[in-house]
Amino acid sequence: MTLWEATQHAFALLFSGDAALWHIVWVSVKTSVIGLLLATPPAVLLGYAIAMHRFPGRRIAVWLAQCALSLPTVLIGLLLYLLLSRRGPLGPLEWLFTQSGIIAGQFVVGLPVLLAFTLAAVQALDPRYAETARALGASRWRTMTTVLHEARYGVMAAVISGFGRVISEVGCALMVGGNIQGETRTITTAIALETSKGEFAQGIALGIVLVTLALVMNGALMLLQGEAHTAGGRA
Amino acid sequence: MSALLTVRGLCKRHGERLLFDIDELSLEAASAYVLTGANGVGKSTLLRILGGLEAAQVDSVVFDGQPLALQPYPQALRAAIVYVHQHPILFSTSVAHNIGYGLLARGDSKSVVKKAVEEAMAWAGVGYLRDTDPARLSGGEKQRVALARARVLQPRLLLLDEPTANLDGSAREGVIALIPTLLEQGSTVVMACHDRDLIGLPGVQRLKLRDGRLETRPKAD
Repeated sequence: MTLWEATQHAFALLFSGDAALWHIVWVSVKTSVIGLLLATPPAVLLGYAIAMHRFPGRRIAVWLAQCALSLPTVLIGLLLYLLLSRRGPLGPLEWLFTQSGIIAGQFVVGLPVLLAFTLAAVQALDPRYAETARALGASRWRTMTTVLHEARYGVMAAVISGFGRVISEVGCALMVGGNIQGETRTITTAIALETSKGEFAQGIALGIVLVTLALVMNGALMLLQGEAHTAGGRA
Repeated sequence: MSALLTVRGLCKRHGERLLFDIDELSLEAASAYVLTGANGVGKSTLLRILGGLEAAQVDSVVFDGQPLALQPYPQALRAAIVYVHQHPILFSTSVAHNIGYGLLARGDSKSVVKKAVEEAMAWAGVGYLRDTDPARLSGGEKQRVALARARVLQPRLLLLDEPTANLDGSAREGVIALIPTLLEQGSTVVMACHDRDLIGLPGVQRLKLRDGRLETRPKAD
């Protein structure tokens, strides 16, 4: 099959509503969104706390957060595999080769991205926002919500970047999920499998979905950033 | 007149460098002060310390007859003292929300906040900006909104860092005209500034930071 024929076949699969293919997309989106929803609150809180407070070891915390961005997802997958395997400390959860296991992986993969980007967004914000809130008598909690509201475009960029990272990673989903058809097969693990079998059409179709998701998410991010620049430009 | 705030032994260092070492700073209730001094002498830093935004070494603090510590900054001072930046920051909500921010943070009801905000906007002459995006305001409008936002809290002590800096013409005059009316509600106002018109306002006492020391001068009636 030529590349052109495989691509035609891929579009045919997409538009025919191929149940197996769309189930894979559903599993990917579902596990990514849930993992990200679980990772966002602690990551944003931690990113804010590190950005706003001076404490011993702060620079090490920033360094670790940035290093975590570069961690290969296959290594995260290996660590999670060891933790979740029958003899591992989290074995009793029986999450290995389940969607819960993939969600746990997406949580661990997404958290550093969210944390590092939130940290950068809050650090880049004029410190007078927090000072003004405090000077007007705001509690710590209200000061935090005010600062995060002012840094909202950066925090949204963190969430979108985190989604991009988790939906496109393959190593962790493969090791922890096991690539079980109809259960834990995700877009990326399916592409890897189909390509190895020489079945390019489904791989290309899933690739098109992945690229479309990336285009939509980054388009949304650009729109948000454009709005932020417009607001800033009026100052 | 009774002292609102007395701070003794106030020392601030930037690393090894001594910025100032003030034996005593005493501010009377319902009075106005200008804090003058050369650039870099620590005027803004002194106001920021009093406003709880910066740490310093202090021997003793007495506020309204009550001995207090500055670190951690006590809630009694947080509720009574408001600091306004030289270039005020307005939150990216609305002018009305900005003015009501402190009242909402204090837990006042929406009806109380709404009434106070309307009154404060009329006082500052910014009613026409009620629903305007704060990013669209001019420097003078921002300063007037910031003053309204501070005034609405009825602070015992209001700290204004260069309130007319970088303003000229009617914007500057508009801000200067608001200062005497702040005193009418019983607030003590301290303004770090170089502005001769502010320094020359009737009844304003002068504090001068020079060579790390604070000098007090009598009222310029």
